Amino acid sequence: MTGSTAIQSDRTAAYAPALMEVSGVTKRYGEQRALAGISFAVNPGEVLGLIGPNGAGKTTLLEAIAGLVPVDGGRILWRGTSPALPHRREFMFYLPDGLRPWEDEYVTRVVEFFAAAYGRPASITADAIGALGLAPVLRKRVGALSKGYGRRLMLALALITPQPLLLMDEPFDGFDLRQTREIMAVVRDVARNGRTLVLAIHQLIDAERVCDRFVLLADGRVRGVGTLAELRARTAMASAGLEEVFLALT
Amino acid sequence: MRSPDAAIVQRAPLHPLLAKELREIVSGRALWTMLLILCPLVGYSFWQAVLLYGEASAAARDAPVLASGLSPLDGVLVPTFGALYVAVTLLFPFVAIRSLGREKETGALRLLLQLPYRVPTLIAAKMTAIFGAWLVALIPAASAVVIWAMLGGHLYVPEAANLVLGHLLYGLLVGAIALFAASISESSATAAIIALAFTIGSWVLDFALAGQPGALEWFSRLSLTQTLRTFEQGLLSPGLLLGVMAAICGFAALSAVWLHPGVPPRTRFMRSIACVAAVAAVLALATQVRTSVDLTEDRRNSFPAADQRALAGLREPLLVTVRLAPEDPRYVDLRRNVLAKLERALPDVSIRLATSGQSVVGSSSDEAYGEIEYSYAGRADKSRSTSPREILPLLYALAGKPTPPPGTGEEYPGYPLVADGRWTLPWFLVGLPLLIVIAWWRSRRPPQIPAQLINKGGQA
Repeated sequence: MTGSTAIQSDRTAAYAPALMEVSGVTKRYGEQRALAGISFAVNPGEVLGLIGPNGAGKTTLLEAIAGLVPVDGGRILWRGTSPALPHRREFMFYLPDGLRPWEDEYVTRVVEFFAAAYGRPASITADAIGALGLAPVLRKRVGALSKGYGRRLMLALALITPQPLLLMDEPFDGFDLRQTREIMAVVRDVARNGRTLVLAIHQLIDAERVCDRFVLLADGRVRGVGTLAELRARTAMASAGLEEVFLALT
Repeated sequence: MRSPDAAIVQRAPLHPLLAKELREIVSGRALWTMLLILCPLVGYSFWQAVLLYGEASAAARDAPVLASGLSPLDGVLVPTFGALYVAVTLLFPFVAIRSLGREKETGALRLLLQLPYRVPTLIAAKMTAIFGAWLVALIPAASAVVIWAMLGGHLYVPEAANLVLGHLLYGLLVGAIALFAASISESSATAAIIALAFTIGSWVLDFALAGQPGALEWFSRLSLTQTLRTFEQGLLSPGLLLGVMAAICGFAALSAVWLHPGVPPRTRFMRSIACVAAVAAVLALATQVRTSVDLTEDRRNSFPAADQRALAGLREPLLVTVRLAPEDPRYVDLRRNVLAKLERALPDVSIRLATSGQSVVGSSSDEAYGEIEYSYAGRADKSRSTSPREILPLLYALAGKPTPPPGTGEEYPGYPLVADGRWTLPWFLVGLPLLIVIAWWRSRRPPQIPAQLINKGGQA
């Protein structure tokens, strides 16, 4: 599928016009091709899942969109225009996977730093802390947090940011089943309140539960874009789950 | 490009960023370790300096003429601050690297770069934090100066402030190099190796190449420690100031160029080349600024005021041809007592070493070896003296001017002091380290949580 075709077919979805378009993004690491002409569109207010196995290129794609990795080709369009690299952060915030930043800082200071940098009111910070249950660890150092609370802190930072688009890499990693469901509810709530989310997820069951649409990635290529129903129609598997659809398309 | 969808994050307040950067440096062990190491280093240097100064002062009591040679700048301040120099050279890079290295290692940098701060702002904040760390590192040396004053020691503020300025510039230069090393390295360990290669490499340049003729001598001037020499001599040189500031800004700018991982390598290289070219241009300009201000109380870098005025009136070019090897002690004397002062006093002086490439041993059979020829306004004369008392009359004779009468009341009296500095050691070995440990402990106390943050922040 070429870049323009992918976007074209994507635009036929009920969400047009697109908030952001990824057009023909290509990235190589030496001889290795990480992304090969990736194209898709992100619609306002949706939760879009980047689905693929480990090594599919999900993280590289998110970092390329956020401007944290230089690309060899392609463009990122916001409402049809291409913002310069320093301006992308005005539209989107990317939450990388597996971060444990500023380990010697206290949790409350990290949260307050983010809120102060963006000039966010205390009510929003308190909402994020409340939604993610961070209150018991506010006086702990980041380095002393359990894996689960570390993930919650990162999600809280993302919720505090004001950008209309949130990119999250494996947001449900490190949570047990019950916690995952709670975090999914928080994510859905964020989308309901008007923000758009792009989530890189390798657990297909999680993705099926939380995402409105999917971009299926394998070997750095887009193998399918659409809602589960649209993907089922493409594979002629009327009652298949995302797992079966993904296996059929990749 | 602006869009109604964009978050209003164009002008983020600076104080949260500055506070974070300062906390980042204070929360690391590197700063506290350096402080604890600095206490005995500075304390021992200061104690030794006071002891030796006291012995020299005791001798000066019996021979008052010796007192004029006793300057607290040379006797106490420079050796005491020498300990700070050692610590800044060897330990300060670790403190400065922490301001960025940990963020790169933990991935925090990827969050930081998305915050509404421009990359130069981030680097400026980190440099401010490094400056703050240097101020903290100054505490032991500053306490030594206070103790010196309490002991009854004399302090001449302009020369002391000039020395502190020199150490500040050296500290910021080392900090900027460390920051640059951290920005191009993936780990703090690699950054430390790069930064130490600069600082320790400077020592090697000093030891191996200083005093060597020709290109080697020029190469030795690239040593970072050369930054301090002029300030230790009590000179404030606008050219040096400009050059060091350009180097600091250059390394900081290079750090900014290499900080953002999203910028393509080709763009980084191009920007780096532009940055290096700009700094080189400023450095070239700085070398053309030859004026300097002698801030010492004893005016050691200048001839007596009457001679300074008379020499300033010699408008023709003066050519000095020296037949001495650079490593010859007589050349060192001549350079310090006469040539350096002539360069400051006369508008147009050229100095030529006629023995380039020769050593003292190789030149000993040459009868002309040791001669210094002075050419002015078509006339020339030779001398083997390294003393201004003989050379200045020679120059006045060449210029056809009378020797100015010596001024009165401008003799430096000297400040001998026999003080008992034994009690200073417990301060540096116990008292100050104890205060530092208490400050470290206090800095690690958990903060208060603002009530409005936990109103809704219950359990998940």
